[in-house]
Amino acid sequence: MSTELNETQTEAAQSPAELGGATTVGETDERTRAEWVDHEFDGDAKIAVEDLNVYYGDDHALTDISMEIPEGSVTALIGPSGCGKSTFLRCLNRMNDRIGSARIEGSVRIDGEEVYRDRADLVELRKRVGMVFQQPNPFPKSIRDNVSYGPRKHGDLDTTFLSRLLGRDDVDEEASLVEEALEQAALWEEVNDRLDDNALGLSGGQQQRLCIARCLATDPDVILMDEPASALDPIATAKIEDLIEELAEEYTVVVVTHNMQQAARVSDQTAVFLTGGELVEYGDTDQIFENPESQRVEDYVTGKFG
Amino acid sequence: MSGATEYDLVREDTSTLELGAGATVGFAVVLFGFGLAGLFELVAVTESVAGVQLPRLLGGLLTLASAALAWFGVASHRGLVPTDPRPSAGVVAATGAAGVWFVVGGLVGSQTLGFGTVGWLALALLAGAVGFAATALPREDLGTTLPVAALTGLGGLALLTDVIGPDWAWSPVGLRATFAAPIAIPIIVLFCSLLVGWAGAKAYGGFGARGRHLGAYALVYLNVLSILGVLVGLLAFVFTKGAPVVVQGITVGPGAGPETTIRLFGFAHTVVWPVDWPFVMNGVSLYAEVSGVLPAIVGTVWLVVGAVLFAVPLGVGAAVFLAEYAEEGRFTQVVEVATNALWSTPSIVFGLFGYAFLVPRFGGSKSLLSGMLTLGFMLLPLVVITSREAMLAVPDDYRDASAALGVSKWQTIRSVVVPASLPGVITGVILGVGRIAGETAPILLTMAGATEPSAAETADVVGGFALSSSPPFVTNPALLEATSALPYQLYAIISAGVGGDAAFGWGTALVLLVVVLTFYAVGIASRTYFRRKLHE
Repeated sequence: MSTELNETQTEAAQSPAELGGATTVGETDERTRAEWVDHEFDGDAKIAVEDLNVYYGDDHALTDISMEIPEGSVTALIGPSGCGKSTFLRCLNRMNDRIGSARIEGSVRIDGEEVYRDRADLVELRKRVGMVFQQPNPFPKSIRDNVSYGPRKHGDLDTTFLSRLLGRDDVDEEASLVEEALEQAALWEEVNDRLDDNALGLSGGQQQRLCIARCLATDPDVILMDEPASALDPIATAKIEDLIEELAEEYTVVVVTHNMQQAARVSDQTAVFLTGGELVEYGDTDQIFENPESQRVEDYVTGKFG
Repeated sequence: MSGATEYDLVREDTSTLELGAGATVGFAVVLFGFGLAGLFELVAVTESVAGVQLPRLLGGLLTLASAALAWFGVASHRGLVPTDPRPSAGVVAATGAAGVWFVVGGLVGSQTLGFGTVGWLALALLAGAVGFAATALPREDLGTTLPVAALTGLGGLALLTDVIGPDWAWSPVGLRATFAAPIAIPIIVLFCSLLVGWAGAKAYGGFGARGRHLGAYALVYLNVLSILGVLVGLLAFVFTKGAPVVVQGITVGPGAGPETTIRLFGFAHTVVWPVDWPFVMNGVSLYAEVSGVLPAIVGTVWLVVGAVLFAVPLGVGAAVFLAEYAEEGRFTQVVEVATNALWSTPSIVFGLFGYAFLVPRFGGSKSLLSGMLTLGFMLLPLVVITSREAMLAVPDDYRDASAALGVSKWQTIRSVVVPASLPGVITGVILGVGRIAGETAPILLTMAGATEPSAAETADVVGGFALSSSPPFVTNPALLEATSALPYQLYAIISAGVGGDAAFGWGTALVLLVVVLTFYAVGIASRTYFRRKLHE
């Protein structure tokens, strides 16, 4: 994909090698970085990212990313494979910490609080910033146990035998929490009669909605979705997309996708990442798809490369 | 491809000739099973059935099958049967045939004709060359059937004409062993029926690609049959020898059995068994009508329980560290090599270690506890290896999902990784228990008690627990006493020639087999339970 870059670019375009190390925006991009950061939204900025750089060993995976994500909206991250959009997403809940070779510089603030400060509370962060993965990954447990897994492990729910003996019994709380989360994930109707069945017996689309319910059960503000529908069939995909739009009324949703139609359908604003880990353009979805300011973004969204 | 016959997409109805070839294969399978049964003395091959001597009957059947095979080959060559043979049966088949013919030529040359070394070697080479040429040079249909039919026909005729009869015996020059008819006849039948089955299956498939496919199929299935045969034969062998000893004197009825007093920390409750099974409820006694192996059974069970209780928590803990916490690298490689080496260490070395290290530390005499720990050391590496593999096989998706919910690593291990790897862990324990339950050498060195223990010497581990007012507060003399175990008692009876008779040994062997299989059954049942829990 990146080899086609040169053919489609204008004379002024840089070669891919230069793009990789570039810290300034390409000459073809008329907007400046400062303008993106100050991008005006109707609501408040929920997530503010400043000068984020990520390295995997010697590989510079993300280059000087700055953007603000408004509250209560859907933000789509699009771009070709390997452009760093998933890496960016995983920076927001510090999942990249789990990769030993990853080095992260810069600042990510959620509600004004710095995520990358020392002594940050990862449990609290990940409770507040939930995540849904590309492959549906329910635990090999019952549907009920999957949904209540987070709250039980955080100590918010306690239904063990010992705690019942000691007089604390959250069975009712668990039942209402499970029902609420499954309702929100539009799965309650389909599974309410078999909550004790193993989650691995559900279809792929149901498993993915179960994963969304599991994430909602910890009561997050932000939901990160990493290509949540790419392993699903068109009907299951449509259900997930409807769900994303519903969730945006209550939550801030950031969704990575390589399906541009999907980004256009579900998102309020779109960020385009291109090879080299650069954020090339970020703005309202309509504007990005109909009237992009960068030539490279236009080439990408019209399918000329990538 | 010869292309002599054009294939129709749908083959015509089965012809009688094909049925004949199919019947030959079925015949071969039956003969093969018969040969296996004969080898394990489940069928007495030297006896008569309905007035016909069994070797003659088998020989006649083999000859008949060979004739059918040869006829099918010739008929196919003449074009009487629609087949699709290739120009040659191929080098692999020819090499196999050459090997078989070489052996037969050598045996006939040296043993039947009495040639010297040069003579039999020349004859063997000649026979091998003829077998190779006869298989490789003619068209596939003749090359497959005729050399096989000639060989099996020869074997069949030898049996039919009583050249190899019930009284036949062969003492090879230079070997102090005699091969008598009960061994030789089943082996001849086995080999001949294997060859007939292969060639017959090829013929049934019409040679060519389909024929080769069916030929290989027949060989593979007969191979599986022989493995099953060895397994069933071994079990049946032990069972037929041991069962009469084990079941003698069983009486059922209220109060028929002996009294057992169950003691725990000073409380005692006496149970009267409703069944009397002397072999498993008695010890060795001059006064009892039937002597039994109760102390050894109890000793073996406690040994296994103790070893598992020691090795499983330690092994699983080490596996958690290796799979979840340790960085993949030099250290984990060293640990891996070390555990593998430990698992391959001969058991007598473990026994010696237990004898030199544990026994002096537990009162200086051999004891149940030092036996348990020694077997626990033996079990440990396998538990570590299999548990680590099982944990590494748990998908990273689960760990990611759990981490993204803000759940700590240890909680993730406890509530996701370990439950998901439990079936694999149990598989390791099952394999390990199978090995340690039958170990003799470590027991001999670390805990061996009397070779013929009486019922009074049964280890009462549960009742042995007692409270004391000074450290260690809980004591258990039963753990520190020597006791017997089934493999040790078996070894003492049969090999070391310590009293007892062979029949008692067979009974002990059967009981040991049943005890080990019971441990297996428990393990497999719990594995199935946890697998269900994960997937249903």
